[in-house]
Amino acid sequence: MYLYLPVALTSINVLIPVGLGLAVGLLSGLFGVGGGFLMTPLLIMFGIPSTVAAATDSNQIVAASTSGTYAHWKVGNVDFKMGFHLLIGGFIGGLLGVQGIKILSAMGNADFVIKMTYVLMLGIVGTYMFIESLTSMKKKKGEEHVQEKEAGISSLLKSLPFQTRYEKSGVTHSMLLPLIFGGFVGVLAAIMGVGGGFLMVPVMVYILRMPMHVVVGTSLFQILFNCIEVTFLQSYTNHNVDFILAVLLLLGSTLGAQVGAVFGRRLRGEQLKIILAVIVLVVTVKIVLDLTLSPSLLLVQGGGH
Amino acid sequence: MSATIVKSGVKRKILFAFALMVLVLAAAGNASAELTATANHDHIKIDFFYHGSSVSVRGVSDQGADLIIKISSPEGHQELRKKGKLAGFLWMNVGKLTFEKVPNLYSLHSTKKLDEILSRDEMNKYGLGYPALEKHAEIGPVASEDEKTEWFNQFIKFKESSKLYSVSSGKINITEQRGKQNYYVLLDWPYQALPENYTITVYAVKDKKVVETAETHVLVEQVGMVKSLAGMAKNNGAFYGIISILAALGAGFGVGMVFRKGGGAH
Repeated sequence: MYLYLPVALTSINVLIPVGLGLAVGLLSGLFGVGGGFLMTPLLIMFGIPSTVAAATDSNQIVAASTSGTYAHWKVGNVDFKMGFHLLIGGFIGGLLGVQGIKILSAMGNADFVIKMTYVLMLGIVGTYMFIESLTSMKKKKGEEHVQEKEAGISSLLKSLPFQTRYEKSGVTHSMLLPLIFGGFVGVLAAIMGVGGGFLMVPVMVYILRMPMHVVVGTSLFQILFNCIEVTFLQSYTNHNVDFILAVLLLLGSTLGAQVGAVFGRRLRGEQLKIILAVIVLVVTVKIVLDLTLSPSLLLVQGGGH
Repeated sequence: MSATIVKSGVKRKILFAFALMVLVLAAAGNASAELTATANHDHIKIDFFYHGSSVSVRGVSDQGADLIIKISSPEGHQELRKKGKLAGFLWMNVGKLTFEKVPNLYSLHSTKKLDEILSRDEMNKYGLGYPALEKHAEIGPVASEDEKTEWFNQFIKFKESSKLYSVSSGKINITEQRGKQNYYVLLDWPYQALPENYTITVYAVKDKKVVETAETHVLVEQVGMVKSLAGMAKNNGAFYGIISILAALGAGFGVGMVFRKGGGAH
């Protein structure tokens, strides 16, 4: 069955958005990412204008992350305190990032810098997570977890002011830490025009040293608020949110997020990390191919990155 | 009295005969020039289940004339991003191109190939065929005529990929009838065509020249909920945004609740 999308101004087979929603929602519930890095290019592939694809995806993520956060919260895997601190940092970072884009555009070649940052970030994060989770999976079999490495960095982190206990995550950090790293992710996400879940998850795992299952729940909570803000701004300033498309997507994604959350509980943290790392690396390769293979069309619709 | 009545009666008869003669002559004069064009529907309504449409154009033309049917939207301005190679091997957006005086939709169907039935000058005069469109269009920024041609060809490719531009020949069905010919063509109307007022022009061609034209219109319009949603998104963005967010939150919580119940049963 086909439905006409009043803002995208095109017609689509309803099975496509529902199916895409289901798949990306599953990833969302499993790994705590919004999945925009997968969803937006897929929607464009199915004929949705790029600006509408990005804006509508953020509306859909509101639903998927609500569903996912709810599922993780029920089993006590959402650290609200950490989530709030990351959010504040992310919000400030987002404002800085928007200014950053203006500077880049004024300098010319903004697209080049943005694309390169994106590819490098995906590549580095994916590779690091892959190697790290592989080694820690091997270690688990033999001896106990070794923690003496990075003693220097952790003592530096301990010396920062405003130390506070994050109960759900079982860690003690300076409040400045989530603020700064949340801000850092916010700057990059705003510049790259993505949600930044794939950056926030490694930050929480490796820098804030939170357990993987709490990371997933907390990341979703954080993404939920970001996407509410983005959906509103996109509707208000760019009129790019397609409500019908969003509803079709969320039919799949809310369900997918629940299934993902249930399924994720059966996997160990390392297993989750390594699967996410593989997905991030596959996306990196796909983007690199897009950049190097000759495109079939040399003209594209304006707007968006 | 009666004489004047008779007189005026005669006058009337003469006048009537004269008028009849004029009419007959006019009809005879027009007999070789009476192109008509009718579309089967002149109003396409876009509702939720719209997935494109089909439009048939029929009419009568002079016998032996070749026909060209053109469907186009009003000319306008379009801005597109162009892709190019950076650092020798990276394909990226390298700038914008503005296309002026180009229709958003352009679809041309002729009885024979355009080159065989029409001279170049006539094509340019009536905007028939891609070369004529290119000549008329303004593209910027481009450095030379060659570059203009190159990007115009890319523009055609882009438009054809979304079914908005097409040129074909041989699809028009012609049947002869009492010294005239009836023509009929059934065309796919792409769902990608935006709501607008489209013009269908039929050109009758003889000896490489356009001898007659006829015109009809097709209005494409959003109706009902599609129209109100599109209108709300455009004119009341804040309210539309809030509704979209609330709906998403509601759906997320709703599904979460359903799953909690389902999970409890196990």
